[in-house]
Amino acid sequence: MLLETAILAGLLFGFGIYQVLQRSFVRILIGFVLLSNGANLVILAMSGDPKGKDSPILAEGTGPHVDPLPQALILTAIVIGFGLLSYMVVLLYRIFLDYRTTNAADLFEEPLKEAKPEEPH
Amino acid sequence: MTAVLLAAILLPMLSVPLLVWAGARWGSRAGRVALVVPLTSLALIGWLLSGAEAMTERVVTIPWIPSLGIELSFIVDGLSLFFGLVVSAMGVLVTLYASSYLDDHYRDHGRFYAYLMLFMASMLGCVFSENLLLLFVFWEMTGISSFLLIGFLHDKQDSRDGARMALFTTGGAGLAMLAGVVLLGEVTGTYSLVALRDGAMTQSMAEHGASWDGILTVAFVLMMIGALAKSAQFPFHYWLPNAMAAPTPVSAYLHSATMVKLGVFFIARIFPIAAMLEAWTPLLVSIGFLTMLLGAIFALLSHDLKGVLAYSTVSQLGFLVGFYGMSNTDGASLDLLHVASHVFYKGCLFMVVGIVDHAAGSRDLRKLGGLSRRLPALTIITLIAAASMAGLPGTMGFISKEYMLKAKFDHWHSDAWLNWLPLTLVIIASLVKVLFSIRLVRSTFFGPLPSEIDEHFHKPSGWMLISPAILAGCCLTFGLWPDLISPALRTLSVEGLHLETSIHLKIWHGWTREFWTSLGIMGLGAFAWLLLGAGRLNRAGIPSWLRFDQAFNAFMNAIPAIAKKITSLTRADRPMDYLPIILGTIFVSVGSLIVVHGARLLELTGLRGDWRVSELLDPLRSFVLLLVAIAVLMVTTLRRWTTQLVALGTVGFLLTFYFVLFRAPDLAMTQILVEAATLILVLMLLSRFPRAAETGERESRPAATRRIMNIVVAVIAGLTVTAFTFVVATSKHAEPAGDFYLKQSVPAAKGTNAVNTILVDFRGFDTLMEVTVLLIATLGALGLLMRYRRTEAEAKAGPMGPPGMGVIHETDAERERWTDR
Repeated sequence: MLLETAILAGLLFGFGIYQVLQRSFVRILIGFVLLSNGANLVILAMSGDPKGKDSPILAEGTGPHVDPLPQALILTAIVIGFGLLSYMVVLLYRIFLDYRTTNAADLFEEPLKEAKPEEPH
Repeated sequence: MTAVLLAAILLPMLSVPLLVWAGARWGSRAGRVALVVPLTSLALIGWLLSGAEAMTERVVTIPWIPSLGIELSFIVDGLSLFFGLVVSAMGVLVTLYASSYLDDHYRDHGRFYAYLMLFMASMLGCVFSENLLLLFVFWEMTGISSFLLIGFLHDKQDSRDGARMALFTTGGAGLAMLAGVVLLGEVTGTYSLVALRDGAMTQSMAEHGASWDGILTVAFVLMMIGALAKSAQFPFHYWLPNAMAAPTPVSAYLHSATMVKLGVFFIARIFPIAAMLEAWTPLLVSIGFLTMLLGAIFALLSHDLKGVLAYSTVSQLGFLVGFYGMSNTDGASLDLLHVASHVFYKGCLFMVVGIVDHAAGSRDLRKLGGLSRRLPALTIITLIAAASMAGLPGTMGFISKEYMLKAKFDHWHSDAWLNWLPLTLVIIASLVKVLFSIRLVRSTFFGPLPSEIDEHFHKPSGWMLISPAILAGCCLTFGLWPDLISPALRTLSVEGLHLETSIHLKIWHGWTREFWTSLGIMGLGAFAWLLLGAGRLNRAGIPSWLRFDQAFNAFMNAIPAIAKKITSLTRADRPMDYLPIILGTIFVSVGSLIVVHGARLLELTGLRGDWRVSELLDPLRSFVLLLVAIAVLMVTTLRRWTTQLVALGTVGFLLTFYFVLFRAPDLAMTQILVEAATLILVLMLLSRFPRAAETGERESRPAATRRIMNIVVAVIAGLTVTAFTFVVATSKHAEPAGDFYLKQSVPAAKGTNAVNTILVDFRGFDTLMEVTVLLIATLGALGLLMRYRRTEAEAKAGPMGPPGMGVIHETDAERERWTDR
């Protein structure tokens, strides 16, 4: 069980990081989603092998229950990840409106404009 | 009494928004309204003074943050009342003066008086504080209001530079002071000044023996750095002359009469506590008297009238610092006389300079002259104040100087260098003071009247003369009948700080040493003036290696240049360049750890002997794993955004299978819902992009070397995470924190679903924060959508739909631009 989970997490991280390293903002966005899924999975793996354990709903089953804490953490993480993602999508849209590009390389091609010191009136 | 004291401090603070409003409504006349505030404070503090028969010390304590030992604790004693009176009385005079000075040529009158009253409130809070941390809070507030006031004319470069310099210098040194205060508090266990004086200090020294002397000395030196910087002592003296970019009422109030005296006040305040330390006398005497001499010489070499006064203030403050340093542990005497004398003449002279600047249009001593014919009343006022500065008989300055020399002769210190050094420096500095007093009066008011000054001249309002006239009157009255202030000095004497002597000030003591010295100084000063002459001084200047302010500005300007250099070196403006470096570092360090300690880590996982991968893999789970792998590969290789996103959604949905395997039904459900919402949202927004954006993106692919490097980084990352997850997840946990929640879920939270009870009961606040994060993201997204400025073509195309949503991209020109790429 845990070996598959570990491989899956590695898969998601590997591809997520590859995407994040791209120049396209859409690919960076996708990479972010893959990374957050991978991170959730890593946390979930911390609750150990669920073999012979029940879900953390106490009304059901009498045996030992799985650790509820990682699940609570991930539940929060999923929701916050969604909030972040929606903000990033809108940010991407705004960047496109202002700069007419969805490419990080285009955005940083020109050197940053030097702010001129204000002249006293 | 509590109510009166709090009202005196809080009323100016509460008046701040009202004054902004008054300024918007009445413009320059807001000053007359503002006058009510310092008058009220003055009356209230006066009432505190009259209320008590003898000046017994009274402490008012209101709990604030008891766990940190911070209390709103105020002390009413001679020292705080004296400074409180000075602050509020000068507040009245300065506000009166400013209401004529800031005429309709200025803007933002409301803001000016609001800052001024904010400053007054902080000042009053500072002098009445009994708790060291409270004192520090007010101390920093004076620094902030001083920054705002110096930079009041913020469209001028030198105003901004001066404000920045003052803030950084006093604020930075203020941090040292905070460190000193906290250190003292930690060592002695209290921040209360009264408790420290009444034994907490000596007790802790006795308990811990001599080794703690070092710590206390460090605390003392740190606090002194803050105090000396506030009082513009060498090597921090440079900020005060640059603070003169402020409007003149501010210079008269903050930078001569009150705020710069805070350092001196603080030294007086901790005198009963710290004067027994060995470092006290050498530190304060050397810095104080050195500053006194340097300040006097700089004042002589300056040509700007305000610069002359600023450096002479530095000099006088140096004397006061050194004076406390000289006093032996029994206490000082007549310190309040010296402070009051300086307040009277320096406040007066600053106001005079403001009037001269106003009337003649210049403050340059080399250009001014002959104004006595045009401003006879002002000339008389200036003569009195300058005479007091030079210490001529008949003025308060004379009394002050006489007693100061007497103190030097009387308190012949046991250390040899402490005998002759201060005396010599004081005598030389007094001599220079006579010189620049003569120069100030002579170059401004006498001699020929230059034609350009004559042309520019316009008569100042009579109202402006009231405040300096009152101050000059004080100089003269108390100079001629010094015994008038003796009862006040006796009432205001403070236990532990002042020597208990029956003070009776006299103008004539007979032919004493100090009288002869005083005569000699005056005679030599006049002689030196005749010898040097105005012309030679006009050609002199402060040597550039002593201009610390220039070095400071160069330093401040170097910071952004250095930052820019570092930025361009590390290429932090290009995420594609530095992300691989960061990721590579992390994964190589973690990965190498796993490789090096592989055997031991494998032991931790509990797998022994001959284990085979096939035993650990289950066919069904592996199948799902394969599906996810295919989906992820599709996400990476597909070109169309839509198909990419569908593949991404597949990944998310397939993950729910693993959530279910881990016995997490809540997670599986949430994941499905969120995945659906994400897909809809992203598809919706991406569909608004022109097709050209998507195709154009495909064309700009990174170079092959970079692609290979990216793949290498990604593979290393994947392998590292796999190994890390496997090792951590299979290792034995000590005791999972989740067990507590499982046990307590039903009894404490009355819920059977442990995940739910954690979220809404045990960690309810975290969930609240999570909701807040969502709210912030929503607001941020809304802001991004709303603040879009449309292009001309879009504006012509008519009104838009909902905010940001109706933007038309596919105009003909746009399409051409995209297809050109």
